[in-house]
Amino acid sequence: MQRWSEEVARDPRSLAFLPLARAYRKQGLRDASLQLCLRGLEAYPSHVEAHGLLAMLYLDTGDHQRAADEWSMVLRVDPDNFEALRGMGFCYLEQDRLSRARQMLERAALLRPSDPTVQEALRVLGTRQEIAEKGLSSAPDVAFGDDPWAATSDGGPVFMLAPAASAEEAEASAANAGTENTQPQADVPPRAPRAVPVTGPVPLDPMLLFDDLLSAGPLLGALLVDVKGLVLAGRLTEAMRGDPAVLGAVLGGAIGEATRTAHHLALGTWRGILLDSEHALLHLAPAGSDAVMVLAARRDAPAGWMLRASAHAIGQAQLYMEEYA
Amino acid sequence: MNQLFSAAVERVSRVAGVRGALLVESEAGVPVVSELREGVNETAIAALAASLFRRTAAASETADFGRLNTLQLEADDGHVVAVDAGDLILVVVVDHDAQLGLVRYEAHRAAESLA
Repeated sequence: MQRWSEEVARDPRSLAFLPLARAYRKQGLRDASLQLCLRGLEAYPSHVEAHGLLAMLYLDTGDHQRAADEWSMVLRVDPDNFEALRGMGFCYLEQDRLSRARQMLERAALLRPSDPTVQEALRVLGTRQEIAEKGLSSAPDVAFGDDPWAATSDGGPVFMLAPAASAEEAEASAANAGTENTQPQADVPPRAPRAVPVTGPVPLDPMLLFDDLLSAGPLLGALLVDVKGLVLAGRLTEAMRGDPAVLGAVLGGAIGEATRTAHHLALGTWRGILLDSEHALLHLAPAGSDAVMVLAARRDAPAGWMLRASAHAIGQAQLYMEEYA
Repeated sequence: MNQLFSAAVERVSRVAGVRGALLVESEAGVPVVSELREGVNETAIAALAASLFRRTAAASETADFGRLNTLQLEADDGHVVAVDAGDLILVVVVDHDAQLGLVRYEAHRAAESLA
């Protein structure tokens, strides 16, 4: 630890920050570990292991949302990362987003078929899906335990559940309680963005969705990105360097940060972020409940024009999502 | 130096619709100088705005857009404008209906005066 500590003190960009942060966490020095990890990520924003450690640090304090943000960053860079797949699977299961939970957990199970926590989560998932198909509410005996994220000795999350019940038992339980049948709670959509209504045919090729905007004017790219940073539609023009997947991925964390900032400063729902960088102007805005519209333009593009182009693009995006949802 | 900082912050805070302006140490996210309306939480703004700025600045560099100069967060009940001023960030919190163009102009001029 002393060697790592000296190395980090000598060179703040040293990769020794990671083993040192891990050691701090093991010793219960969570804040020191978190600070070190955040500083390390400023120098190495795509460092998979650092994002993974950060997820665990957030989990230690019960901040599941931030932990999920970090795992989602990990998956953008390393789609086969077992810990991140498992963590995201647990998050989705906790939120009753069952199909997404299954996607994540099945991928995790392929990587480590004998992992008992994943197997247990898949079993619970199966029961919940069966209950949902029958139109029953989730009975308490198939819900999570008091602390489903309690840490194991190796520092990873473990999925602790209350005793299992079959769908039939849950059905009987609901009937006995005289409860009204309900579906699992859906994701809560944020407020609608300010979109310009758009009509007309929607291109079949998602890459061409914003080509009317891209064909003229100073735009360098228009991308519809989901909340996990995956590109749904749009493209970057040849004039722009870079990979759209990377652009979506690196902006994912900033979106969560913007939401938190607006909330904590009592500014209400965030409507957009305009970034004026050395080589480009960038605008991000929510597009529906689970997507973000990203526009990139030449640096000389007027900011007001950018905002209007964004509103128009969101209108197109909404039409596209209604058509193909 | 402190006088220079105060003058820069004061200049921006005079613009109509500005709830407050502050200079924040970008790494630590702590306020250096501020001019805020009563009830505006100086520490929270400094920490949150600096964190958002650092994160988007890192994203901008990773995506090959280069150094981040200005960030503008738009929300239903107000906006935040943050301008790079070297080791500092000039953060301005404005009302929803403020003249953002004027705020941005004054904020840039104030940040330049610190360079």
